[in-house]
Amino acid sequence: MIVLEAVSKSFIQGDESIPALANISLHVKRGECVVLKGPSGSGKSTLLSLIAGLMQPSQGEVRVDGKEISKLPEHFSAAIRRQKIGFIFQKYHLIVHLSVLENVMTPLIPENLPLHVLEMKAKAVMEQCGIAHKAKMRVNRLSGGEQQRVAIARALINDPLIVLADEPTANLDEKLSRALIDELAILKEKGVTLLIATHDPLFFDLGFVDKIIEIHNGEIIV
Amino acid sequence: MIADAIKLELNTTLKTLPQITLQRFVAGKQSDVPISRVDALLDIEGISSMTPRIWGYYYFKPAGVNFSVVGIDAYEEQYSQTLSKLTQQFDPKLLESEHAMIIGAGVKKVLSENYYTDFFNFVTSEGKWQKVSIAGIFNSDLTLESNDLILVPKKLAYAIFGMDESKATDIVVKVANVKEIPTIVQKITERFPDLRAITQDDIRVSYQNLFDYKSGFFLSLFSVCAFAFFIIIYDKTSGLSSEEKKEIGILKAIGWSSDDILKEKFYESFTLAMGAFLVGIAFSLFYVYGMQAPLLRNVFMGYSELKPSFVLPFSVDSSMFVLLFLLSVPIYIAATLIPAWRASSLDAEEVMR
Repeated sequence: MIVLEAVSKSFIQGDESIPALANISLHVKRGECVVLKGPSGSGKSTLLSLIAGLMQPSQGEVRVDGKEISKLPEHFSAAIRRQKIGFIFQKYHLIVHLSVLENVMTPLIPENLPLHVLEMKAKAVMEQCGIAHKAKMRVNRLSGGEQQRVAIARALINDPLIVLADEPTANLDEKLSRALIDELAILKEKGVTLLIATHDPLFFDLGFVDKIIEIHNGEIIV
Repeated sequence: MIADAIKLELNTTLKTLPQITLQRFVAGKQSDVPISRVDALLDIEGISSMTPRIWGYYYFKPAGVNFSVVGIDAYEEQYSQTLSKLTQQFDPKLLESEHAMIIGAGVKKVLSENYYTDFFNFVTSEGKWQKVSIAGIFNSDLTLESNDLILVPKKLAYAIFGMDESKATDIVVKVANVKEIPTIVQKITERFPDLRAITQDDIRVSYQNLFDYKSGFFLSLFSVCAFAFFIIIYDKTSGLSSEEKKEIGILKAIGWSSDDILKEKFYESFTLAMGAFLVGIAFSLFYVYGMQAPLLRNVFMGYSELKPSFVLPFSVDSSMFVLLFLLSVPIYIAATLIPAWRASSLDAEEVMR
């Protein structure tokens, strides 16, 4: 489902090239749940962004569902993100002047679906994430936990094959973190491929996690 | 729109003005013209008719307004179409016998507000009361010309102004061929150097200058607004706010392509700019023609004392709307799309950060 072959990524700062990932190779099968663990700045988020096609690798190949997302024209990589991937960002990245419902519907707008279909899909995932009662509220008036649930609902509206979660419990208390883990377990049961970047110990002894990969200084250790 | 409406009214009014008006100047001041001059001038070839006019302004102190008082004679040819129509409606002989006058709608309003409903007492130049009854009210198509007008029999006009009956305020000349006007004017001034001939063109030029001057005042206001608009456009084009950039980054991250973002930005800016344009035009039309342009109208209408009664005729220049549209809507859309295109061509991760 997800294949990374000898992927490296460096960022240019002035005249300096700062390596973020070095020679990463990774294979994730369909329906697998992989946890990427490592300290802050180890390269976990960069790895997820490369898989989602949000940035290009400096070297190597990134293939998602058989397609080399890193080399696809922007229009096609956007379509893959829209149709196959759900991304839960660490900082939620919600559009603050829109309501909960509008935020959740946003990924499917380019699909040109009728409005009632969009609303129906959005309401279903909002129910699933327990945020439907705040549908008309602006997201900047929600608590951190509620914003996280909106971000999850937005990531799930397209019935993704892959869910990429970047530090999903970073801003949640333990109770909300466990609720989120339950949500992820349900997704895993449905056959969704999960890639979770985290340094939260709650994820390290879960029954539904198939693989834990440790990253340190941009390299896979285990 | 205000300028266009008033220009339309003025141009229509100017067409009804006399071809040549003769005024007498003594010691640099306007003076009454001896009526004997009419006979002396009639032998100039090309002149088809001459009409001595008795007219002047009457200041009505309680309202602080001037009325235009014009004397009419049943046996004389009327020098304007408006007067011809009015003398057909109201018999001047009857006015004379009943010591009455006919008044414009604006005059009627002012007099009614001051409790003069059936008659009015003029104060003559000798300080005597001159009671004149109101025989009728007229509504002309040309409100600018007739709104402040009072028509009285010539004898009564002489009495009100305290003028010698052998004199007139000025003389109106009609010519057979308009191309000969400059030649006739030359002949008249050669024969009577104290007469000043004012042609229809002279009045048109003088009004035009006045309007150009006042339009210039508005043009300067418009320039300030346009400058402010272009500063906003420059600001918009030079870069997006961090919030807007982040929004574009988020949209890319959740699966929007640059095309989708630009399409959305286009619809958004088009709706906003077109909506603002239409609301602005609707508001302008309502302000000028619905509300009669309060405040701004006075700048153009400075010479009329009966300003409130003047109705701006509907006059719309479609080329002005096209120009306004081209100067606002496409420019605003471009100013929205260019920075959005720049931001959407970057990596989503970079833009979000």
